[in-house]
Amino acid sequence: MSETAADTASAPLPSGPRLSTLTRPLRPLALLLRRAAILLLLLVAVFLAVDLLPGDAATATGERGESVEERRRLLGLDQPVWQRLWEWLSGLPHGDLGTSARGEPVTDLLATPFPNTLLLSGLALALTVAVALVLGCRAALRRGGPFDRVVSLTSTMAIALPEFVISVGLLLTLSLWTGWLPATTMTGADGSITSWSMLVMPVLALAIPQIGWNTRIVRAALADQAALPHVAAAHLDGLAPTRVLLRHTLPGALPTIATGLATSTGMLLGGAVVVESLFNYPGVGTVLSGAIANRDTPVIVGAAACTGAAVTLVILLADLTRARAVGGRS
Amino acid sequence: MLGRRELIGVGGVATAVLLAGCTGDANDGATSPQPGGGEPQKGGILRVGALGRASAVTRDPHGTQGNESDYLILALVHDTLTVPGAIHNTVPRLASDWTSSEDLRTWHFTISEGATFHDGTPVTAEDVVWSLRRLRDTPAGAARLPGITRENITADGERTVVLVSDYPNAELPLLTRLTTFVLRKDTPEDQIASAPGTGPFRLDWFRDGNARLLRNDDWYGGEVHLDSIEVTMFETAQAMTNALLAGQIDLASNAGAVAARTAEARQDIRVIRRPDDMAMPVVMRTADGPFADPRVREALKLVVDREAMVEQVLSGYGSVANDVLGTADPNYAADIRQRTRDLERAGELLAESGFDLSRTYQLVTTEDIAGLAEAATLFVNQAREADIRIEVVTQESGAFYESTWLQGDLYMTYWGTNDSVLFYASKTMITGSGQNESGWSDEEFDAAYYRVMDTADEAERATALRDLQEIEHERSGYLLWGMADGIDLATDKVNALPELPGYGRVQLEGVWLSR
Repeated sequence: MSETAADTASAPLPSGPRLSTLTRPLRPLALLLRRAAILLLLLVAVFLAVDLLPGDAATATGERGESVEERRRLLGLDQPVWQRLWEWLSGLPHGDLGTSARGEPVTDLLATPFPNTLLLSGLALALTVAVALVLGCRAALRRGGPFDRVVSLTSTMAIALPEFVISVGLLLTLSLWTGWLPATTMTGADGSITSWSMLVMPVLALAIPQIGWNTRIVRAALADQAALPHVAAAHLDGLAPTRVLLRHTLPGALPTIATGLATSTGMLLGGAVVVESLFNYPGVGTVLSGAIANRDTPVIVGAAACTGAAVTLVILLADLTRARAVGGRS
Repeated sequence: MLGRRELIGVGGVATAVLLAGCTGDANDGATSPQPGGGEPQKGGILRVGALGRASAVTRDPHGTQGNESDYLILALVHDTLTVPGAIHNTVPRLASDWTSSEDLRTWHFTISEGATFHDGTPVTAEDVVWSLRRLRDTPAGAARLPGITRENITADGERTVVLVSDYPNAELPLLTRLTTFVLRKDTPEDQIASAPGTGPFRLDWFRDGNARLLRNDDWYGGEVHLDSIEVTMFETAQAMTNALLAGQIDLASNAGAVAARTAEARQDIRVIRRPDDMAMPVVMRTADGPFADPRVREALKLVVDREAMVEQVLSGYGSVANDVLGTADPNYAADIRQRTRDLERAGELLAESGFDLSRTYQLVTTEDIAGLAEAATLFVNQAREADIRIEVVTQESGAFYESTWLQGDLYMTYWGTNDSVLFYASKTMITGSGQNESGWSDEEFDAAYYRVMDTADEAERATALRDLQEIEHERSGYLLWGMADGIDLATDKVNALPELPGYGRVQLEGVWLSR
């Protein structure tokens, strides 16, 4: 399990037994520990990286004319970075993510945005799964046919289009020119989004590039499987193409598809920074972009912890899917 | 790509501190003409968009508000002692009037008749003293109330607050604008965010930077027309403008020139221009370095093509300036000869001073606000026509404030409070001032400044203020080429919007909606 999701996403799985040294019940636990350790390392790296940036929260959030030293002391920035890192880490087990440079608890700052981002990314991921599977499978059924060629072309285009361009295109066509959808996201007294129609454009903007990417993975994975002897045998047995696809080709392609989708989760969360900002969607992306400008380490690392945990969870699920699929055949 | 940095950032900086002013009357506000005309109509919900970032939300009225949305909400819920005005730059609010001692050091502020908190309790001098001391105790306190120590904020009876300055300060009331929000005495720290205010609106709810405010029917300051104001925070001016164009909000506060261009094609959207909103001067170091010779500074001031700067950098949403900061001051000396482009004279001055034209100089800028880096680039191109080679160096805000600001030879700065000449003099130009951006020290200028500060006689002060501006125009380290308009966008049903520069834009208490 040494490869990352990204390494394997576009390539077919290497064959051969994996994790052979561990007894089966321990595998999920080992995977979990490994992923948790990676997450912890990531947070430490982010914490130190913010410290390396020029300027700090005292200069970025202070007023001109006030004492930078005093604010630095107030924010605890006069302490060595290792000490601040240790203090922040020791709060983690209690769910304490620290305090922002403007004195708000980080958990408060993330309490609504993080679930909002999960909702946005979750919907985009669900849409990606559904559309990529349908398009990929249909394309694979008649390889080289007109549908396959169209899917192949449009999926490549979709990957190439940045979320920013897609968002602007959607905004103009679905909102500003036609008035069909609200241009931005508004929230009510309880922090919830006031209308579901406000989710349509952000979800589409996030999902379209990922649909392109995953459709290609589905198609490629199915093609690899189709070349295997047992699939060829199924065809020769005279089974219906759809049946061969669903019963023989798709199951074998699932680990690759799962890894591809896991990679997409990371990209969805990354893309959320841009999309949330354009649609004024109240998610963690908008919190993060402001926090980086302000060198607000606790907020940055807190946001990284939340999104990192979400990505880790999805990758873990993908790992388990792969381990199960590969393990079952070894 | 989105230029996030450019959209915010004026907040914490512009709330700095201000000086100057005198007693004015409460109706001295400037508002836009009412397109619908006629009598104000009561009722309706005003949906306002304001810029802000989720990570920078601040609920403390005495904190550093980086978000315009936060400041807007605070300013509508809580009152300051005084507010910016049009004819006088300081007009009454929670303080109905003020008087000074002969030596201009002791100032008495009287609390407005009938001022109460939203829970009905009257505002006392003790409440004001507690609030001002709390403000004074913040890290920015010394900059917000310069010359006034904690012990020198006291109550004199139920309705009078006494401020004693360490030095004569004819412009002290100006300090009480913008940040002197008043809360009830001994409000616990954990209740600051929800504490009742005294303002024209009371807080219904606040959530993640957004809020709903309801009319305060008992407001002492006059009749409030709107039923409520809903504030939505936007991270970018672009998203805010889209929301306005799509009919999701009625007013986009401080949307900027790009948004104004977008909106101008729309008949149902009004562009409200608030002149003298933002200064983006070039700072030339006077203490040492290549620009220390006043002739060199004069030459650079003659090199810049001011009209072109306003047209290209500000898309025409602005006006030409004359190297004197504080252009919206009622006492701004508009009659000083306007400096215009003169490359020939500039060349002579550079030759006389022995300025090294073989070198390439650096002009450092940030991208903190829209137009700043663009101004630097255009100025550099104009300077090339006078054979002065300058390259633009863009720094990130954090790095800029650490290594360039107050130190660099040549850099771009920006200021968002422009209705006081003295504010700039006291903060950025007199010898030893805390934010002396160009390292300037000029005996004559200092003398003029102190003459203004300790003269009570209006005419005499006006003369001194005029002298001060003459000197500033002639040889200070500031090249102020123009002033950017503040730009709000509103639907055509919104009436009586404020037209003051800077934070004057938050005075929405007089706004009404036509139906």
